[in-house]
Amino acid sequence: MVGLAYDFVANPLGAVRLSFEKAVASSPSDADPTVAFRGKDWGAIDLFRDFLFEQGGLSQVPVLDASTHKWIQPNTLVRFRGMVQDMLGNEFYIGACKDGPTWRTNKFRDLSSFPMPPSCETLLWERHLFHCVPVPGQNSWTLESSPSPTARNMSSCLTFQHREKRRRDGDVDAVELDASDGDSSCSKKQKEDVNPAFVSSSSNDWRNHNNVSEPTKGDHAFPENTLSCLVKVYDMPESQFKLNDVIEFIGIYTFDPELVITKDDSDDMMYDFMEDAVAHLPSSKVPRLHCLVCKKLAAQDFPPSSHAVEPLPHVVKSIRESLLGHLTAVLGNDGLAAQFLLLHLLSRVRARVDLITVGKLSLNLTSFTRESVSIFGNELTSAIQNLLPYTQAIPLTVEYLNTATLQPRKDNQTGRLVMGALQLAQGTHLTIDETNMQCGTLNSKGVENASLLKHLMEWQTVEYDFEYYKLEMAADVQLLVLSEGKSNILPADLVLPFRPTTVSAVNAGAEELQSWRWYLATVRSLPSSSEPEISKMLENEMVDAMREDRSLGSTDLNRLLTMAQLTSASFGEKSLSLENGEGVGKA
Amino acid sequence: MKPFVVATDKALAKDFLTNFADAVGEPKYLNILQDVANRKIRAVQIELDDLFNYKDLDEEFLQRVTENTRRYISIFAEAVDELMPEPTEVLSADEDRDILMTQRVDDGTDAADNSDPLQKMPSEIKRFFEVYIKAFSKGTPLTIRQVKASNIGQLVKISGIVTRCSDVKPLMQVAVYTCEDCGFEIYQEVTARVFMPLFECPSNRCKTNKAKGNLILQLRASKFLKFQEAKIQELAEHVPKGHIPRSLTVHLRGELTRKVSPGDVVELSGIFLPIPYTGFRAMRAGLVADTYLETMSVTHFKKRYEEYELKGDEQEQIERLAEDGDIYNKLARSLAPEIFGHEDVKKALLLLLVGAPHRKLSDGMKIRGDIHVCLMGDPGVAKSQLLKHIINVAPRGVYTTGRGSSGVGLTAAVQKDPVTNEMVLEGGALVLADMGICAIDEFDKMEESDRTAIHEVMEQQTVSIAKAGITTSLNARTAVLAAANPAWGRYDLRRTPAENINLPPALLSRFDLLWLILDRADMDCDLEMARHVVHVHQNLESPSLGFTPLEPSLLRAYISAARRIVPSVPRELEEYIATAYSSIRQDEAKSNAPHSYTTVRTLLSILRISIALARLRFSETVAQSDVDEALRLMQMSKFSLYSDDRQRSGLDAISDIYSILRDEAARTNSMDVSYAHALNWISRKGYSEAQLKECLEEYAALNVWQIHPNTFDIRFIDA
Repeated sequence: MVGLAYDFVANPLGAVRLSFEKAVASSPSDADPTVAFRGKDWGAIDLFRDFLFEQGGLSQVPVLDASTHKWIQPNTLVRFRGMVQDMLGNEFYIGACKDGPTWRTNKFRDLSSFPMPPSCETLLWERHLFHCVPVPGQNSWTLESSPSPTARNMSSCLTFQHREKRRRDGDVDAVELDASDGDSSCSKKQKEDVNPAFVSSSSNDWRNHNNVSEPTKGDHAFPENTLSCLVKVYDMPESQFKLNDVIEFIGIYTFDPELVITKDDSDDMMYDFMEDAVAHLPSSKVPRLHCLVCKKLAAQDFPPSSHAVEPLPHVVKSIRESLLGHLTAVLGNDGLAAQFLLLHLLSRVRARVDLITVGKLSLNLTSFTRESVSIFGNELTSAIQNLLPYTQAIPLTVEYLNTATLQPRKDNQTGRLVMGALQLAQGTHLTIDETNMQCGTLNSKGVENASLLKHLMEWQTVEYDFEYYKLEMAADVQLLVLSEGKSNILPADLVLPFRPTTVSAVNAGAEELQSWRWYLATVRSLPSSSEPEISKMLENEMVDAMREDRSLGSTDLNRLLTMAQLTSASFGEKSLSLENGEGVGKA
Repeated sequence: MKPFVVATDKALAKDFLTNFADAVGEPKYLNILQDVANRKIRAVQIELDDLFNYKDLDEEFLQRVTENTRRYISIFAEAVDELMPEPTEVLSADEDRDILMTQRVDDGTDAADNSDPLQKMPSEIKRFFEVYIKAFSKGTPLTIRQVKASNIGQLVKISGIVTRCSDVKPLMQVAVYTCEDCGFEIYQEVTARVFMPLFECPSNRCKTNKAKGNLILQLRASKFLKFQEAKIQELAEHVPKGHIPRSLTVHLRGELTRKVSPGDVVELSGIFLPIPYTGFRAMRAGLVADTYLETMSVTHFKKRYEEYELKGDEQEQIERLAEDGDIYNKLARSLAPEIFGHEDVKKALLLLLVGAPHRKLSDGMKIRGDIHVCLMGDPGVAKSQLLKHIINVAPRGVYTTGRGSSGVGLTAAVQKDPVTNEMVLEGGALVLADMGICAIDEFDKMEESDRTAIHEVMEQQTVSIAKAGITTSLNARTAVLAAANPAWGRYDLRRTPAENINLPPALLSRFDLLWLILDRADMDCDLEMARHVVHVHQNLESPSLGFTPLEPSLLRAYISAARRIVPSVPRELEEYIATAYSSIRQDEAKSNAPHSYTTVRTLLSILRISIALARLRFSETVAQSDVDEALRLMQMSKFSLYSDDRQRSGLDAISDIYSILRDEAARTNSMDVSYAHALNWISRKGYSEAQLKECLEEYAALNVWQIHPNTFDIRFIDA
């Protein structure tokens, strides 16, 4: 075992254990070593960091997703990208225990690697639990090293395929096939790590259980064939991650299909309160990930960084022109709409000050008819899908409003946050197609949903229902509304009649797409600064505009300023330039 | 734990229980023990506060109690055992338990030689009390988030909202068996949630006889404890932005069961403990240890002003604020500081928070003290924001919309319980907001059934229900803060105010103050706003307000302190108020505006607002300035409705001010009018100080009056 200790990918736990033993040995004998390690790392993380980022080990680590999790071995190192869908609080676990004279650690694992004597000295440590799901609306181009990208276009896979059984069967095959592939340490490790009690349960047994057991309650909001994951994060400051953050975790993957829970366990009557949220995510269904290294992802992390890091003005300008051309073509030669769409795609919530949400720019393209939606709407949706990492589309109908679950809601029975359609990652693009709206009556749910959407549009916040109170969560969603007339349900910042003149097939080369993605991500994340003189100038400009047109309200001002800022940003400029500001004043 | 330590600590505990004297010198705990002995109470609650205040305090002992509470509960229980006095009252000894006890005592003497531990009666079964240790009442409770692994075993205080409650179940504390062979009673203490029942008699007799006596569990002889589980969740205000509220399992035992129900906001003190998994669960859970809070005390959160406790230095801060002459303006501006302008509206809302005391006359008639305010205005003038902010400031506030979200609506409803099929009365928003504030958005879109009921709520402050055989009336002593849109969505300036306000006069007259907030084009205001918006966009922060708003908590403390005062109206002012009221009636009779309603209710409103103003000054009597300000607010609220009429009336502001001053001087029969008085009078009519100054200068130039160069006092020059 010792010789293979530093195979980080296949046997990360070995590395953890060795480093722990080393640390215990090297610490002064008079101090209790394990107390010193509580809530701290003893050097294992550094070891992994060094391996991943210095020695280039990152590329060896497989990505965990619905397709790869069939063949990934438990207790190996994996990479997982997901959105924090629910925060399950912290968990206390027996972090270390004294086995005779030596201390052993249980960090980064679900089960103890050795039988624990019933009355040994133990230490309770703490870890944080997050339930992570694939980012809603993640587009296929953002996925890395995926064998069949077309199969996993998340926005289109709303079909509820029950693939549970097939996957399980495939699982066994994969394990057998992989036996030759996986090195000897793997099988050895399994013997070492899994408590012998569980190995004995035959595979037939658990397969039966899986067929019988129903899909997990509360998970119905997301498709069955996507992979959610319970991530356990160690030694993290309390507020590092927020809900709906997109995070890349690198950690140790565990998945125990053997551990099957019989739901109708009458002995559990007493425990029905202890039965926490975790129990509703049984480890036989939802894999665990013991996080070693994690990183928050932003939009610009997705396109491969083939371009120069520093956005040079002339490069940015030329890309802007080509992108604008592309959008114009997509929009049937409506140049103005393309301009506005570009600004819309670049918008992001920059700040929330009192009652003003700075930087949002929702767009409402009107004058769509049913025919033009089928042509341009689809064209537009796919174009946006190809440009932005996360996109979602909502076909707004009376029936949809009355039935859909938009609001995320806490289920106090299970202790889980039930996902709603509006639980979206920061920076998601949401297209709302209102053209199919018919006359009809909204029930109370419909009214609630409509007001939720309206609130999102006006304030960029979504109210989460916690049964006894509601919490407003900040959102950053770009909203595009397609409608026949001006949408009254969803008052957008910009309302523009859409006037296409030609219908042209639009094709974009892969390289162009890459550059556009890079452009959108980079420009969006540009910081904006302002000099006092420009600010003064703007102020005068606005005041003049108000003098001329007394009907200008604060919302109009907000819109104008946002557009000015976005226009200048679209040229890759960090501060608002004079001519752009003036241009907006005239617009 | 060395036995030595236990012994000394038990001595300390005994010493504390016997010698502790409360503020009046009574031996508090001995009294409690006497009550326990007399079977009046079961709970012996040891307060850490008392331990802290104990004269012979051993600091380390206190420390040990807080950090290893569970152990000290049993130490205290043993101490109580030893101190338990004889009952002073005759008890009816016919209870099962007592009969069993006497039997046992008799048996015990027979088998005294028996040293078998399982046959010795555990002290637990003799106890007729439960010991709780209550955490310090001072100090802010922790949020669930703040309870860490390091708190395990300690006494912690946590605040949260109860989300789930289990049924109350019996939990076995001591299992009692009898042996079929030897007839001995065998005791088994149960400390965990599960226990392994005994099957073979362990007594010496059975052992020596190798009889393997069959044991039978005696349910009647065993001791059970009431046991309930609950889940609490973090309060909304404790959740950091972008996080999800945490929850925690709570165990309630004995006397503490049935104290909480879902939806309650509670403060719990208890011991934070890990629970080891056993058996199959242990395999499933792996290494995870679950944790729970063993509750020691339950306090329902104080949600009413009357029960508000001042924290720390708040008393001092309030006193400092009260000395500040400008407190009225300062408090008003601190309400919703992010909402620009609307100073008078905010003042009205502040008075709504303060309110006036309820009066109950000797003949049983009640006069309400709550001030109702209605905000009416164009969409997008931050009405809803104002409402929500007020609810946040108020300790007990309910926000709802006219189209109530649940079936209960605003008032109350009789509903059929789905489980028991019984009819149950369920209170609506107004009943829930009893002794608080009910903010009703979209007041104009209220359902017809609620609209009729709200008349009663707003004057009589009760909700009467006569449905499904239930005839009752519920208290709804709440201040109503309503927000409504004009009849056609936007205020139509071409129509009269009465047409725009989509509410019947009967309802309108119940509001003390009615404000119309219009999105009128006003150059200065608009420019100010434009600057604000540009600043926000450029610097991503709001410009400084020019003052530091008071913290909501301080605001709440100040208001609760103010609400304790019951000011009276002095006799001298009665005449003044009566004249003011009659002059308003006169004005109305003269004017041809048919849409204002000055009724006796208006007079009551004036009184209420004046009293609320006196409360803000912490004054026991209402001053004339209070009445003036009340009249000014009412006038301003009227002007917000009829400002166009005013502009159309023949007199311009300057000459109007002059005539007011002239009238007042004539009324008081003097030639001198002090500046402060003048300001009072004109502000009652809705004019500003700038206009007064302008008027003073203009007429001084005409030699109508002389102005004192320093004090601006006015002296009329009699022609």
